[in-house]
Amino acid sequence: MKTWITASAALMALAVGLAGSPAWAEGSGTFKYAEQVKLITMDPQKQSGSGVPFLRPAYESLFEKGPNGENLPLLATDYKVDGLDVTITLRQGVSFSNGEPFNADAAARNINRGVELGITEGLKTVESASAADEFTLKIKLKEQDPAIIDSLCYTGGMMIAPAAMSDPALDRNPVGTGPYVHSKEESREGEVQVYTPNPTYWDKDKIGLARYEVWEIPDDTARLNALKTGQIDAGNWLANPQSAIIDRTAGLKLIRGTGGLNYHVIISDREGTVIPAFADINVRKAMAHAIDRTAFSKAVQFGLAVDSYQPYGQGHWAYDAGLEGVYAYDVEKARALMAQSKFPDGFTFDMPSIPLYQSRLEALAGFFNEIGITMNIAPQEPGTLARVSRTTAYPATNLVWNTNTDPKFLALRYIYEDANYNPFKAKPSEELISLAKAGLESVEADVRAPVYKKMAAQLADEAFLIFVASSPILIGASEKTANNPTVVYRYGEDSINLRGLKAN
Amino acid sequence: MTPPSTDSASAPSRRRRWVGGSSAIVAVAAGVLVLLALLALLADVVTPYDPLKQNLIKALQWPSASHWLGTDDLGRDVFSRLIYGCRIAVIAAAEATTIAVLLGVPIGLFIGYRGGWWDWVVMRVVEAIVSIPGIMVAIVILALLGTGLHKAMIALGILFSTSFLRLARGVVLAEREEVYVRSARVVGASDSRILLRHIFPNIAPPLIVQVTLTVGAVLLAEAGLSFIGLGVQPPDASWGTMLSTAAAFMDLHWFLAIPPGIAIIVTVLSVNLIGDVIRDSIGRGIAVGVRPGTPAARFESAAPPAEAAGPVGVAIDNPVLRVEGLQVMVAARDGGEIPVITDLSLGIAKGETLGLVGESGSGKTLTGLAILGLMGTGVRTTHGSIALNGRELRSLSSSQMEDVRGNEVAMVFQDPTTSLNPAFTVGSQIAEVLRTKKGMNRKEAWERVVELIHRVGIPRPEERARAYPHELSGGMAQRIAIARALSCNPSLLIADEPTTALDVTVQQEILDLFRDLQDEFGMAILFVTHDLAVAADVCDRISVMYAGEMVEMAGVDQLFAMPRHPYTRGLLTAMPHASDRNPPLPTIRGSVPRPGSWATGCRFSNRCDFRTAACDRRIPLMGRERLVRCVRADELVLEAAQ
Amino acid sequence: MFRLVFQRLLALAPLLFIVSVLTFSFTSLLPSDPVDLIIGDTGTQEQHEMLRERLGLNQPIVVRYFQWLGRAVQGDLGTSFFNSVSVTGAVMQRLPVTLSLTLVSALIAIAVGVAAGVAAALRPRSWVDRAATVGATIGQAIPNFWFGLLLVAIFAVNLRWFPATGFTPISVSPWDWLRSVTLPALALGLSSSAAIARQVRSAMVGVLQQDYIRAARAQGLSQRRVILRHALTNAMVPVVAVLSFQITGLLGGALIVEQVFSINGLGTLAIGAVRQQDIPMIQGLVLVMVALVVVVQLATDVVYGLLNPKARPS
Repeated sequence: MKTWITASAALMALAVGLAGSPAWAEGSGTFKYAEQVKLITMDPQKQSGSGVPFLRPAYESLFEKGPNGENLPLLATDYKVDGLDVTITLRQGVSFSNGEPFNADAAARNINRGVELGITEGLKTVESASAADEFTLKIKLKEQDPAIIDSLCYTGGMMIAPAAMSDPALDRNPVGTGPYVHSKEESREGEVQVYTPNPTYWDKDKIGLARYEVWEIPDDTARLNALKTGQIDAGNWLANPQSAIIDRTAGLKLIRGTGGLNYHVIISDREGTVIPAFADINVRKAMAHAIDRTAFSKAVQFGLAVDSYQPYGQGHWAYDAGLEGVYAYDVEKARALMAQSKFPDGFTFDMPSIPLYQSRLEALAGFFNEIGITMNIAPQEPGTLARVSRTTAYPATNLVWNTNTDPKFLALRYIYEDANYNPFKAKPSEELISLAKAGLESVEADVRAPVYKKMAAQLADEAFLIFVASSPILIGASEKTANNPTVVYRYGEDSINLRGLKAN
Repeated sequence: MTPPSTDSASAPSRRRRWVGGSSAIVAVAAGVLVLLALLALLADVVTPYDPLKQNLIKALQWPSASHWLGTDDLGRDVFSRLIYGCRIAVIAAAEATTIAVLLGVPIGLFIGYRGGWWDWVVMRVVEAIVSIPGIMVAIVILALLGTGLHKAMIALGILFSTSFLRLARGVVLAEREEVYVRSARVVGASDSRILLRHIFPNIAPPLIVQVTLTVGAVLLAEAGLSFIGLGVQPPDASWGTMLSTAAAFMDLHWFLAIPPGIAIIVTVLSVNLIGDVIRDSIGRGIAVGVRPGTPAARFESAAPPAEAAGPVGVAIDNPVLRVEGLQVMVAARDGGEIPVITDLSLGIAKGETLGLVGESGSGKTLTGLAILGLMGTGVRTTHGSIALNGRELRSLSSSQMEDVRGNEVAMVFQDPTTSLNPAFTVGSQIAEVLRTKKGMNRKEAWERVVELIHRVGIPRPEERARAYPHELSGGMAQRIAIARALSCNPSLLIADEPTTALDVTVQQEILDLFRDLQDEFGMAILFVTHDLAVAADVCDRISVMYAGEMVEMAGVDQLFAMPRHPYTRGLLTAMPHASDRNPPLPTIRGSVPRPGSWATGCRFSNRCDFRTAACDRRIPLMGRERLVRCVRADELVLEAAQ
Repeated sequence: MFRLVFQRLLALAPLLFIVSVLTFSFTSLLPSDPVDLIIGDTGTQEQHEMLRERLGLNQPIVVRYFQWLGRAVQGDLGTSFFNSVSVTGAVMQRLPVTLSLTLVSALIAIAVGVAAGVAAALRPRSWVDRAATVGATIGQAIPNFWFGLLLVAIFAVNLRWFPATGFTPISVSPWDWLRSVTLPALALGLSSSAAIARQVRSAMVGVLQQDYIRAARAQGLSQRRVILRHALTNAMVPVVAVLSFQITGLLGGALIVEQVFSINGLGTLAIGAVRQQDIPMIQGLVLVMVALVVVVQLATDVVYGLLNPKARPS
């Protein structure tokens, strides 16, 4: 498990080798990135979902993902997991951009704040953190967590300057250890956030830019135009008409990042409290069979997505090729299943929606309509879908799942009786419970993989999670950006690694 | 489109004809709305496809035989969705308008009737709402209610209710003051009965107009709200949501934006056009009548043009103005022309005042304007000559005419309060003439202005020069107008009923002023009036006009002593003896025939007591010392009634 | 002049007060508890109470109103519920965007409307008149956002004369500013120019029949002078009287047109605020918009007074 040390050593060597030019220390040129979601907060521990590109310039996490998803050191240099105790050795000589030293005390305060706020999903398993000595952090877990280090690669591991924690305006005044600092004066709210080199950065050679900008352009067409006209160098997209245009436009490049977003329907009311039909396994299987995933991927996701029958994407250690096509499109079979069920005449249910998923749900409604099921689309305010999905307001919902997330979160989200997205408190089957437990018993992927493959098969069998399509993380880039060797896309994330990034 | 027509009739008749001419458009507009209602009603029957039925493989197709307007992003039939959109449009318009009326009218009636604090508070709130951009009001209301068609329509209903509220309040306030409401209250009718009996019939016409305005506005607002995602929610097909989808696909398939866009435009256009027509027709019913400045329509139907008689004139030595055989035509509806002045000859000598007398419609004012070349579009001089100081005016270019006007000939109009521009001080209006015509600089012009104002008998001229027309009395304004007319010292002054609009006491002062000024400046005056007594006061000679031609001309004393044309006698008979000149000319039976309906012979014959068979032929103007156009002039001995 | 401005200001000041009362009480009716909105499901009871205290929500509404008003008068419209952004700052940052859009479209609407209206009125029933009338009638029926989509498709996407989206501040580059504001201003100004053209035409037709026009001509003043000075000055009186409504309408229309062109103006801010039910932001936005309307009204009142001496205080 210490393989990353060699990898990181190699990487460091590479960095040192490249750092020949003294101009690097100051950085030159500007890089402009466009983000598709609106900036909600720059407080990493209050941030949920998208918007990480706003955080990465100023904040660094304890660990980061390597090109193949391996955990590499960043603010931490070493770790040890022993049951419920995690010991992390911190990097020395690092200070926050406000001058405060980075040490175990600061790191512990960060972790404890994240636990207390309770927003960061990755810290749910943490009991508390404390400083063992100046550069040794101890984290006490509530339960076995093979993915705790993964969590510390993301917002859960981002380190905020302790003094800034009490700033009520932390959401717009980020203070971290990152290579760049946020420039409030030059930023324009709702339009662009500007970052300039951090003069106290611990690894000055990695500062390659004089200025980094993150533009907030929620409109897909506007973002596309900005990319076409060179207003931005790169930006992130979902699978939609505009990303399809980027893919076919000369001079632009659509980069399919590692990992992806798996779109799926969740039958929350699987015990039939509100919609009795949902308790019928034949109905759920009929729904799974009624979806023409190929047409869906082609028309709704413009050929940028692949059919999906399981929570993991191809190439993930838990991915099971044997599950492909388990619910292949077959209207006749779906109708036959409906006929076998106790609801041969169909039924009606409501599905919450946000604008982003509008066309997806309209398409699904069309498919379900074919087998006599009427799905009404109930619009929600953007940003509230996850919240209503945790309530009993709707018998079913639809969400995306980042395929890079550790499979353990499947149980936390959907399976356990008190899982976040199990509002009707449906009792999980014995099989699922025991598989979920088994998955936590080891940190080794080779040990866990067979368990989670079994879990995926079991989920397919119970058909209360209907996986539809999996699209890669999409980043649109100009030709210059695509040819820039310093542009490194973060593993499983819609952002660019800023360490070492130079202007085009 | 409207049939081509080039007449320049007055505003009311133009509007009537414009409406009539575009009846085809109105029919189309009405047809569109009926079709819309039918489609809304029968959407389930007439649509070729289920509007929600998708075919992902056939997404974003161009129009074809199977999909007349192509398919959208999910392969749904655009044509079918468009038809279902009609239903949403009808529901939206009906719902929001109904809410607006039901909310606005009762509150408006109530506060209008109650008055006092209720009225004050509600009106302040209404003013506040109106001062916020409408769409912002709707958005804020939607923040309270949440999104969706019906909620959006409630928001729009509340927004638009303010206009109904103000309308209803206005009607109540107006009606409250009406005598019959007060009398109804006296006889003990209850408040509600007063409201029902008197106010509702009066509120109906403006209400209907406001409804059409609101329907159009609602359709546009619904589309806008749905476009930004606060109105109708997908997958329901409203035109606004269809456009919202189209916006995301502009690069890939721009055609998606066309059908719903056209549908909105055609519908709103139809509603607006019908609204315009209703407003015009109702507007005529309750309008205040013809604008005072508007000349009355002078023709009704086409008639063969009267033959132009040869020029007959009175030889005047060295005339300032000589008009010979003048004929003026006006464009008719059928594309032809109708004569309005025929065979007019007259002359005025330096220092002389010629009166031009006749009933309204006789063409005397038009004669004055014809001399100035200011008859307006569609009216033109076709025959004869107009010579001013020996120069033929008809052959001058329009810029040469501009030069003549003001410098050589000027005009004083009937109503001084309307002939002075309300936007500028009276002094500046005179100064403008001096500066543009005489090339004076600002200071010179102003000094001259003060001098002129002083000359026309206005005390404190410096101060008055800085006054606006509305700050002056009628008599004073007319003095200013005279000062302006005389500013460039013209050799001919045309005075068109210059005293008619003034108080009796002021009239005499103005007439005196004319005489004084003529003595001083020595200009010739063409004095147009319907009032023989006034003419007698200032004129040397009088020319009587009837139906576009001169019927008699004589020196004042001769004319009054012995009129030779029956019409002149009629005028003299009708002349009131007292200074009360109201109503004027009551006793000649009938009225002046309109141009185009003139008799071929004597145009007065149908009103004349002395008519014979000979009167049916064209009558020339005869005589030497004095002129008369009557075959029986010699045999009749007419005297002014005593 | 000074007196006119002062008088109108006195008349308009209560309007701002009433709007502030209305907005404040109305937004306080919002169905959701702001504390729930901010914290979501995750917060503890204690956190809820603390936040309630911090936002001053435990005070009676009248107290809250006057506290808010007191700060608003000093230019502090509060802080967004959802981030630490000051409402004044956010609004002031977007204001130049929406303002330049509104003003440019108002200029276009006035220029096009007056020119078309005068041309039509000078030759009633000519082809010019008919074209202007038909154009104005259709122009008033076209949704501004649809026209915007069309302009983008033609002039930005196909011809590439203008940028399709976005806004460049005038301080960055006046030329780019003009390019970025042209299409949205055209889209926005269309229906207003149609309305103004109709008003100018009917006012002008009426004015041209007035005696003072004939009198001015009789005085030998040139056609140009008569039309542009004597007729237009008077014809603009009724037009200016309703111009502030037109500009208010443009301000509202800008909120939607901004969406078509992805311009970060007050509209984007307003729609976002409404979706999130960000009450301080909504209140601030409404107040600022009404203040703008008041300024516009004041300006048109002054112009009206200049054009129409009867409207001046004596």
